[in-house]
Amino acid sequence: MKAGLALFLHSARRARTLVLALAALVAGFQILLAFAARSLEELNTFGRLAALVPDFLRQILGPSLLTLLSFRGIACLGYFHVAILATLVGLTIALATEPAGETESRFLDLVLSHPLARHWVITRTIALLAACIISLLGAMMLGTRVGLYWLVPADLARATFRVVPELTLNLGALLLCWGGIALAVASTARRRGVAGAVTALLATACYMTDVIAQVWRPLRPVATYSPFHYYNSLNLITGSSDVTRHALILACIAAAGFALAYLSFCRRDL
Amino acid sequence: MPVTAAPPAISIQGLTKRYGRLTAVKDLAFEVNQGEIFGFLGLNGAGKTTTIRMLLDLLRPNSGSAAVLGHDCQRDGLEVRALVGYLPGEVDFYGDMTGRDLLELLGRLQRRPVSREYRRELQERLDLPDGDLCRKLREYSTGMKRKLCLLQALQGDPPLLILDEPTEGLDPLMQESLYDLLFQLKREGRTVFMSSHVLSEVERVCERIGLIRKGELALLSSVEDLHKMARRNVRITFSADVAAQPHGLPPEYEILEVKPRAWHLRVRGALGPLISSLAGLPVLDVDVAEPRLEEVLIRYYREDNA
Repeated sequence: MKAGLALFLHSARRARTLVLALAALVAGFQILLAFAARSLEELNTFGRLAALVPDFLRQILGPSLLTLLSFRGIACLGYFHVAILATLVGLTIALATEPAGETESRFLDLVLSHPLARHWVITRTIALLAACIISLLGAMMLGTRVGLYWLVPADLARATFRVVPELTLNLGALLLCWGGIALAVASTARRRGVAGAVTALLATACYMTDVIAQVWRPLRPVATYSPFHYYNSLNLITGSSDVTRHALILACIAAAGFALAYLSFCRRDL
Repeated sequence: MPVTAAPPAISIQGLTKRYGRLTAVKDLAFEVNQGEIFGFLGLNGAGKTTTIRMLLDLLRPNSGSAAVLGHDCQRDGLEVRALVGYLPGEVDFYGDMTGRDLLELLGRLQRRPVSREYRRELQERLDLPDGDLCRKLREYSTGMKRKLCLLQALQGDPPLLILDEPTEGLDPLMQESLYDLLFQLKREGRTVFMSSHVLSEVERVCERIGLIRKGELALLSSVEDLHKMARRNVRITFSADVAAQPHGLPPEYEILEVKPRAWHLRVRGALGPLISSLAGLPVLDVDVAEPRLEEVLIRYYREDNA
């Protein structure tokens, strides 16, 4: 346990600067979004923006478009904006592929030549993933809360903030899910770059499939295999998503990835 | 009370490791006694590092078994690694860590706490002062990295040291210092298992050697016996011209050159027959060169290349 903790602290120290910087960035972005949402609300812009959307696009995108073009949609944009999602999933993949990097550099030869069970390498990474995801989403949630309660009238802030814990929970489950997939890949890989690239390509493919499936019905059955299918943020904002079921599905994928990582890493040649 | 013999420091039985079609180590079997310095030799790719990594359970053998101080390396890997200090042949460090960070991290992975006094003593022996340990690893030279690796292997004061090419990258003075350290460890009852390319180093430091060739053990011998296998160069100088040819010599004697005033022979075994054949000749000087271990080992290496 003591040795496992030492390994965790070593990795946490290495990741800390990046995670803290990103946490500050996403928290700041959320405050900025609350400010932008308030400005648009004051100018009564949301209705005009919605009116500008062509009919065919409105038909394709359905009610989610109206959700996006609302105070709540803009204030919570950070939870589903593609840049933020890509950054968070990217960081998760980078953290989860640490065992492959340590195998590649033979740093694990040094570490595992000591009386440390192999499973600690995977346990350490899972703990690190959990800690980083909690820190990032905690910062994001804090940024949203500060932005809303500081800049927005209390009633509107309360109504908007009500959806944030559910968004955070599902986003956390999505990130953990990609962490599990990346860790499963990394536990069999000899190169971190390969593990990261494979998982990133898979994530991009899954994201694109989910996005295209939203506007092209034939792809919808395939999209159910994409983890992004279970993070429908706009439905979460309107409260029409099955939060618990989706979070559980994502958590199950994460757990399967972690289990696979334990199995393959403990059996493999390093 | 029954007396139980101490288990060998390392016992390898029928160890085989295959990577697809390539057999890296094949049916390897030998033992290393406690308290000895054992040299593990072989050309690049012969299977030395693969064998070492199987001892540490970093690689899993396809068949056979290995045990360290009575503990099976696969079934009882944690116990084995608690008894071993390992110097890897190559490793990449995180450049933003300091030497001290690395030592502290690896020290915390030990079962027993690392003695600060012992570490300080090792620092002095390996010429790695506190100032160097506070520097980032990206600033370390190859030799400093090697010394740091040695320090981490030794800091837990383990009963068995497994050193993969320990003097690689060290300057001659540091090599001397390391040899002294290894002798001291041996005197204290520690066992050293070291792989090496440097034959003079093996000759000087090791008591026994194992030579691995294409994954198979080609030679297992004490250094003393190897010396006996080696042929000595003998030059005999005469004070006057000698018409006689060397005669009645055993087949282990190889006559290299015969001149009226000098003979040059390569001799394996006792010198008695040569001395007898010199009776009555005007011998001025007999120069017997020390047998060189390298000569024997290179012969084994060449068979490898043949």
